Amino acid sequence: MTKVQTRRQWITTHEWMVKPMRQTEWIAGKGLMVWLAEVFSALGMGTYLVGLIGGIWGINAWTFWATVAGWLMIMLFKFPLHLFYLGKPLRFWRAFPPFSKAWKTSWMARGVVFTTIFVGFGFLQIVFWAILYYGSPGSAATALTALSWITGIIAGVFMVLTGAYCGFAMSYCKGLQFWNTGLLPFVFVFMGLADGLALSMGVNLITGGEESVITTLEWASRIFLIANALLIAGYLAWAYHKHSTAELAAQDLIKGSQKWVFWGLLVILGIITPLVISFATMAMSSNTEGLLIVAIICHTIGAFALKYSVLKVGIYRSVLPKVA
Amino acid sequence: MRWGMVINLAKCMRCHACVAACRIEHFLPLHITWVKLIAYEVDEQGAVDVSTYPVRCNQCADAPCVHACPTEASHQREDGIVVIDHDKCIGCRYCVIACPYQNRTFVSKDKDPGYFPGYEKTRFEKMGEKLYPHQRGTTEKCNFCAERIDDGTSRGLQPGIDRDATPACVNTCQARALTFGDLEDPESNVSRLIRDRKGFQLRTEYATDPSVWYIDYRLGGAPSNKAPREAQTGSHIQHLSTVDRDAFRRIYGREPEEAEVKS
Repeated sequence: MTKVQTRRQWITTHEWMVKPMRQTEWIAGKGLMVWLAEVFSALGMGTYLVGLIGGIWGINAWTFWATVAGWLMIMLFKFPLHLFYLGKPLRFWRAFPPFSKAWKTSWMARGVVFTTIFVGFGFLQIVFWAILYYGSPGSAATALTALSWITGIIAGVFMVLTGAYCGFAMSYCKGLQFWNTGLLPFVFVFMGLADGLALSMGVNLITGGEESVITTLEWASRIFLIANALLIAGYLAWAYHKHSTAELAAQDLIKGSQKWVFWGLLVILGIITPLVISFATMAMSSNTEGLLIVAIICHTIGAFALKYSVLKVGIYRSVLPKVA
Repeated sequence: MRWGMVINLAKCMRCHACVAACRIEHFLPLHITWVKLIAYEVDEQGAVDVSTYPVRCNQCADAPCVHACPTEASHQREDGIVVIDHDKCIGCRYCVIACPYQNRTFVSKDKDPGYFPGYEKTRFEKMGEKLYPHQRGTTEKCNFCAERIDDGTSRGLQPGIDRDATPACVNTCQARALTFGDLEDPESNVSRLIRDRKGFQLRTEYATDPSVWYIDYRLGGAPSNKAPREAQTGSHIQHLSTVDRDAFRRIYGREPEEAEVKS
């Protein structure tokens, strides 16, 4: 761009190199697809894992449909959104082994591998559970149960990796100080699990709503919400102390352009409201469904807000140290 | 062998010839600039001066973009140049984000209206589409004119010495601020300059080991760091001067004060 000033007229060919500037590739315009894809990645991970873990105590409609919901979020939202974001979507296969060995160094390539393995094994696990719960396995029940758990464990591990790789990919960016930390994947995974707990509560309500399951999920949700709040606070404290650009990003989040998203959507709606509802329902013996639905919606809004605000405050350090 | 460039900041007179040479050499679309010239003001105790940094892809020895690329489209040649295979690039833009020097650009259809939107393409544009096609939906960056180097070395020429094997920006620089050569040869022109003139790289804390070095401008802002006035061109002095009344009105929407306009 050419910037014209009187008296001190000069040419700023690329001002983003002279002062800290935001990244826009992954959050502006078509980049919004990356944001949405990563939100569904976290939501899918959480919902699938909660359903899978719930299955340890017995496969039922709730656990089955929670895993299906998680799997569908990856297949129907994350995958297509990532695909449509690509400049050359028809070449997506180039990221898969054996066409590329980039998984050795690239978190993006690893993410493709993790997601593909999850989708494959997750599908098998869902099929096995469908036969076990809705079908008549007969004498094959024992073998099917074993197979479902083998595939489920593999899918679960790769689901966690699918939810975490985005954080690793972002933390690899050296120029974006706010992202450049190993804490980021943990923030994303914990938040994804908390959101998954909320969504699986929703699945439970739809599939019949066992009171004992809801109570257990609420307990877990409380723990994860508090852990998330502490993790986010710790993350911001780290940002304030790490580097001026990370501090700038944290300030932007807390009192700058993203303050409404951060405080309004993430902290108040995404964390405090579900937490308050969760504690309030402890004292209530019945008629908590309405409140639970509000909590689930707030939780989900928080999931969207977290990724949006973190992507939005990805601020580059200036290339020139002197004027940084 | 590792090709590298040394940029003498005191000699650079921000004429933008390197930017233009690169644009012509590679038929760059309007919104893409491989070589960038950063000019910024330094105001020290009222003494305002302009400093310039020509920047381009640093061809890092440990390039984050190469590690980040999910398809191995970005890769490093044996001579250290980081190149992009545009037939492999899927346009994920991870390399654009991962490059700490922000030297990669995504070739976007939306951002490319052509040089004269609404008019027929120029001969330059038509020729460029044939000779140096830029694939929309992929990422681009400076490649040290690898095609010139390859062509030149195949004919026995020496990059940095023979013009036909040297990057276009280096050939064009009228102030001879750019020097090109082999960083691994201790007696090469670039190695000597780096050694004798205390060369430095940008943002060494990233540990990427850039192949672009700078000399004659200490980081830290001492007065001696500025490009001398006599090295600045007439056109640059004009940039520092004032604008005419009409331009002022267009830009600021008010009448200028006397000191703010040309006499």
